[in-house]
Amino acid sequence: MEKPVLETATLAFHDTGLLPQLQAAPDDVLDALNFGVIGFDTDGVVRRYNAWESRAAGLSLPRVIGHALFTVVAPCMNNFMVAQRFEDAAAVGEPLDAVIDYVLTLRMRPVKVKLRLLAQPGQAMRYVLVERPS
Amino acid sequence: MSESQDEFEALLQFLYLAPVGLVQTRLDGEVLMINPLCVQLLLPLARDGELGNLFAALQGLAPDLALRVAGFEAGQGKVCEGLLLPVTAGVPGERTARVLSLTLLKLDGQRLMGVLDDVSLQVERERELRHSRSWIQTLLDGITDYALMALDAEGRVASWNPGIGRLTRHAQATLVGQGFADLYPPDDGRRAHAADRLREADACGWSLDEGWLQRADGGRFWASSLIAPLHDSADAPPADRGYSLIVRDISDRRETHEALRRSMTCDQLTGLANRRAFFERAECERQRCMRSGQPLALVLVDADPAQALHDSLGQAADEAVLRHLAAGLSASFRVGDVLARLGGETFVALLPGTSVDDAAGVAARLCRHLASHAVTVDGHAIACTVSAGVAALGPGADDLDALLARAEAALQAAKAPGCSRVCCWQAGLQPHPEPAAAR
Repeated sequence: MEKPVLETATLAFHDTGLLPQLQAAPDDVLDALNFGVIGFDTDGVVRRYNAWESRAAGLSLPRVIGHALFTVVAPCMNNFMVAQRFEDAAAVGEPLDAVIDYVLTLRMRPVKVKLRLLAQPGQAMRYVLVERPS
Repeated sequence: MSESQDEFEALLQFLYLAPVGLVQTRLDGEVLMINPLCVQLLLPLARDGELGNLFAALQGLAPDLALRVAGFEAGQGKVCEGLLLPVTAGVPGERTARVLSLTLLKLDGQRLMGVLDDVSLQVERERELRHSRSWIQTLLDGITDYALMALDAEGRVASWNPGIGRLTRHAQATLVGQGFADLYPPDDGRRAHAADRLREADACGWSLDEGWLQRADGGRFWASSLIAPLHDSADAPPADRGYSLIVRDISDRRETHEALRRSMTCDQLTGLANRRAFFERAECERQRCMRSGQPLALVLVDADPAQALHDSLGQAADEAVLRHLAAGLSASFRVGDVLARLGGETFVALLPGTSVDDAAGVAARLCRHLASHAVTVDGHAIACTVSAGVAALGPGADDLDALLARAEAALQAAKAPGCSRVCCWQAGLQPHPEPAAAR
């Protein structure tokens, strides 16, 4: 008998209602995505890091998981455009869902990307998604 | 993971975490490699978030970088070291100015290496340290000729010793009782501001100046003069107040000092003051005007969009136009006004003792001058015009950053309808917010 083909809806960068889907998705689903996913807790410690991001930045998981995102893993995001926005949203207890143009230094090359910042009050995990325009 | 892969990752992370901005570029400024802190420092400055070219990203702070690199003839070496780039002026004693420091190294015939750092706190500390440094320098330098004299509360020379006679060639009778301003050459603008030096000494603890002084026989010498209060506080009654004045002949330092001063304080292309020099002079004038209650106006001048003909003539035309605009500024503004190139095509003039309306009149004179004098490049006459925004020190704008913001808002209002226009700041004018990525 043929194995039934499992239909897994692939998550897309611009999907609405993305945050809970990311939360629920297991690591192998995140690893199959064609954009970067960084999940971090309220202390700013990285808890989830998908394969796309790992390849783009050139950093393997042990160097990243358990380390502070904005000081150790992605210091270029430690400013009013990214890190501050998470803090501001948490301070007023509002959800955050914003897409911004940004420049990352993946492997020391300036790379224009789109970042999507996702956070929900009450949710332990916040996400930064990284899309590289094709 | 293989050992070399692990080493590679370790090196990557080493660079990711480096606490200074590092960037490698081609000689034309095109970015080859850049680390996160450098992006962190540049992103808020770069127009439209463009970080493909270092010189373009720093246009607003150091518009003459490309020229400095082009003028650096050696095959390798330091093009500039610790070049200070003020982002904001701050308020001395209240709000720290935001200052970046740039060091550019030419690696070889194709590549530059840049180190960019935020030195705001160091600059603040340095400013506070300069007081003790200037005193120590007075004592420790190989002083060949100096004079120490006491001044009374009004700055008149109150004491005499042979050293004063040797340096100034004055006799006791001709100098004691005279104001120290008599030491300045007759046509020197500093004569009028002599009392300000006493006020500065009261406020900051010292007043240091370098420039020409004149001897009794009419001969000039390049001198450093330091004034410090002898009384404990500015509230001391006039009978108890006095100052010490130390004058040193530093003629031998003048050549090197002049060359270094020009390199650090002048824009290489136009010869006008550069951004850093402007911020320093402007702060002095601002404090002077706050103390004396005189008005202070600021005119921000921006080149109107270039015409098609200009575009086709390339970089030589750009440079000729900028030099032409600078010359127009020098011709239209007055001797006491502070002129500077603030950014790529942006110039600024500070007009002490001038109201908004008078400043607008001078700006209008500039527009008329430029409208009637074209610049010629390669036989083509290029008409270039500017627009200007005018603002004055006053309630709501009593520091440099606020003054510049108002002038910027007025400038944008002037540009909106067309060319060659002057607009004065009015309540309700706001500068347009820049797009998020460019902030």
